[in-house]
Amino acid sequence: MELSYFVILLILLGCMAATVPVFMCLFFTAVMGFVLFTDLPVLVLAQSLFRSMDKFALVVVLYFILCGNIMTAGTTVNKLIKVANVLVSWLPGGLGMAGVIACGLFGAISGSTVATVVALGGFMIPALIENGYQEKYTLGLMTTSPNLGIIIPPSIGMILYCMISNVSLEGLFLTGFVPGLLIIIATCVYSYFYYRKRTDFVRMPVPDFKQVLSILKEGFWALMLPVIIFGGIFSGAFTANEAAVVACVFAFVVELFIHKSIKFSDVKRITVSSAVTSATLLIIVAGATCFGRYLTLEDIPGKITEVVLSNIQSPILFLAVLNVLLLIVGMFMDIISATLILGPVFLPMLAAFDINPMHFGLILTVNLAIGYCTPPMGVSLYITGSIANRDLVYVSKAVMPFLAIQIAVLILMTYWPELVLWLPGKFGYLN
Amino acid sequence: MFSKVLGFLDKVLAFIEEWTLFIATFAALLALFANVVLRYGFNYSLAWSEELVREVIILTTFIGCSAAIKARSMIKIDALVQLVPSLKTPLAIASHLVTLLFSVMMIYYGWKMAALQIMTEQKTIILEIPLAYLYAILPIMGVMMFIRTVQVMYQDFLDKRTEAEAA
Repeated sequence: MELSYFVILLILLGCMAATVPVFMCLFFTAVMGFVLFTDLPVLVLAQSLFRSMDKFALVVVLYFILCGNIMTAGTTVNKLIKVANVLVSWLPGGLGMAGVIACGLFGAISGSTVATVVALGGFMIPALIENGYQEKYTLGLMTTSPNLGIIIPPSIGMILYCMISNVSLEGLFLTGFVPGLLIIIATCVYSYFYYRKRTDFVRMPVPDFKQVLSILKEGFWALMLPVIIFGGIFSGAFTANEAAVVACVFAFVVELFIHKSIKFSDVKRITVSSAVTSATLLIIVAGATCFGRYLTLEDIPGKITEVVLSNIQSPILFLAVLNVLLLIVGMFMDIISATLILGPVFLPMLAAFDINPMHFGLILTVNLAIGYCTPPMGVSLYITGSIANRDLVYVSKAVMPFLAIQIAVLILMTYWPELVLWLPGKFGYLN
Repeated sequence: MFSKVLGFLDKVLAFIEEWTLFIATFAALLALFANVVLRYGFNYSLAWSEELVREVIILTTFIGCSAAIKARSMIKIDALVQLVPSLKTPLAIASHLVTLLFSVMMIYYGWKMAALQIMTEQKTIILEIPLAYLYAILPIMGVMMFIRTVQVMYQDFLDKRTEAEAA
């Protein structure tokens, strides 16, 4: 019995270490489990693989990705940066604040960190350095801020968590705003104090009212997008699926006819690349479904729960262990795979510690997001490193203060659930 | 000869992938959008749109996988390669071989399942698409993934050779 679990874990980790695509790791682990330890035919798994995609709710992933890609291909990202700039760049450290605010705005449209790093880092890193901002500050800021893309909804990780846990998606989306805003504010305050006494950077003049107005006017359509998405969802006008679809149509219309930044010939390219990105995520759902079938067959989550409950009694300790574990996993694994693999393992334990599944969903998402830029393995560190031509040690040191801010917010929301749960409660998503 | 065949197959597959993904994604987008408009404007909803969307998800995910192998955008964990760069080539080969095995399994089991559906002659509820057609996507994906993986391996091999010549 015990040996079989060990073998399964070894197969899974072995496949993952060998850079086999994650969904195949999950599928083959389930296949090996079936062949070695059960009498069921493998055909059952092939059927699960296929059936798991026969779900209407998955469509929301495809269209939120498409929406983000239309934005990036067009000039919306540029306009969002301009808006953030005109609002805060005259403050000490203001251009840095603009960077983190732009990440937050972009996060309210798109769902992926890595995409955000590339899209925003490409613009912001050179701009910050040109204006005399320290390289260390710049790289740290632009490596960690894209996490907001995952924390601030719509977030693909949250969508998939809701699918495995039956938590209300609209409700979980609402929990993401508080930690997102806290991180933005704390990072801005840090920037302010860091640059308050310094004079070695270019401080922009205070913009006059007319200037602010013209930039807001130019960025109007870009800013309308999050309004449509969240206004639509939380007023009850749209479901999340419909919001994603309407956002895509809106984004296409704005970029094609108002901004005129993409051509009809680009539409096919953007759609195809979005469909491919979505396929790489959804196929992990299929792999995880097969893996999950094997796990439930052997009641492995139940057994892990028993072991954990017999060793840990205090919810405080449980949450601490959970956070550390998730931070480590987040370093190695992307948020989609980690959510789909770990979610079902942890969900059965929550009731014993009196943790709300919606709260847990947010803890999972924020943790795994922070994992993207946690040294020494976080993916974002490597991406920024290659953009800026700096080694891992340099980037790792640079992210430290910003990482500390995000972890502080994480700890705060972990041990103070009301902080994040009152908002969905207000809208009646909590029960 | 080998590279000519691969080049030809690449064109065929790229054509199939691009147009399937584009048409399917766009059709579902328009159907869902029309549904929203009809619901608000005319208090009417399209019964078939949900079924169409589910079929589009199946189609785009499995066909998209083939394109993702070509683009090398499959999600994998490359921590070990980053820690020990010299393992890059052997691990890449291992990963490709596992992908080939997966493709063969999809062809075999997908074929079996599609054959089962032909016998039962089941159809989807509203659009009445024979389930056999839907299940046939699995073996088709298997074949496409197999070709794509061979292509990527050949590309790796060529890159390695030019690297060796340059050194």
